[in-house]
Amino acid sequence: MEKQIKRTILEQGRDWFESDRKVILARVIQTWGSSPCPVGSNMIVNDKGEFFGSVSGGCVEANVIEECLDLLKNNNSFKQLEFKVSDDNAWNVGLACGGEIKIYIEKINS
Amino acid sequence: MKLEILNEIIQKKSSSQNFALLTNLTNGNSEIFEFGKLLSIDFENYKKQIENYHSLKKNGVIDGTQIFIQNFTKPIEVIIVGAVHIAQYLVDLFKNLNFVITIVDPRKFFITDERFPNVKIINDWPEEIFKKLETDSNNALITLTHNPKIDDPALKHALKNKFFYIGALGSKKTHTKRCQRLKDSGFTEEEIASIHGPIGIELGGKSGPEIALSIVSQLVLESNKLILNSKK
Repeated sequence: MEKQIKRTILEQGRDWFESDRKVILARVIQTWGSSPCPVGSNMIVNDKGEFFGSVSGGCVEANVIEECLDLLKNNNSFKQLEFKVSDDNAWNVGLACGGEIKIYIEKINS
Repeated sequence: MKLEILNEIIQKKSSSQNFALLTNLTNGNSEIFEFGKLLSIDFENYKKQIENYHSLKKNGVIDGTQIFIQNFTKPIEVIIVGAVHIAQYLVDLFKNLNFVITIVDPRKFFITDERFPNVKIINDWPEEIFKKLETDSNNALITLTHNPKIDDPALKHALKNKFFYIGALGSKKTHTKRCQRLKDSGFTEEEIASIHGPIGIELGGKSGPEIALSIVSQLVLESNKLILNSKK
């Protein structure tokens, strides 16, 4: 009796891919100290800069999306990103909570 | 990552299986891991560590390697006995958590599609339902009717089949009587003590949504104990 199917982050990625969008999967692979999203958290990004899911609770998403769009422009299929504690300038990219995270971004390909 | 792996994850998640996604961070290759499955050259040297992380449901870069493991855990199947108003709040709260819900109640006027539009419901006595339903230690039971005729058979089934969580709604007085009935039926003190009764962690609230929240909190806490203990 399946009445409702919850849309997941990965399903969103598949749907984008099938409607001819270029798609990148971003995953938190390591954390040190306090970090807002646990290892295994993921976010899906497409070539229009649309995204679904989360890797840091809002702190570094903008930068991750930018990196994803950059990756789409070159021949590499994956990249690791590292984010450390931010300085006093709240608008800088970084984690205000004082933690460090490593994020792995990769293209979805057929 | 290949689209076929993404599709395999989506399919396995929807059919509630235990598995993990492995990624070799040096070359970007990924594959699905399950117990008993042969690993490719990217991962075969780390089989023992991979199995260890998977058993502990531990996500991360495996120590001393460049292998990332992400576990997908079969959702806990929660059986709620009593299609009462607290059950409606429970359905709402469970929505974004990794649980699959079934609501059972022999009373037809309680258990309707209108009251429970997005969840599996069974209109029958727990005794009859458990004859057909396959259950094990991945199940949880929440009884809400505080009617012994409905709740007790479900509690007995859950104790015998080693459900990982059993909770029963009702005051301390109701629960003391319940424990006595179970004792009279031959259950040991230890078995009876494993029932969370009165159900829920103490939040101090008395309203339906607050009671539902205290039940969901307790179930989440119990389901995370394996992970919490492995970190100590």
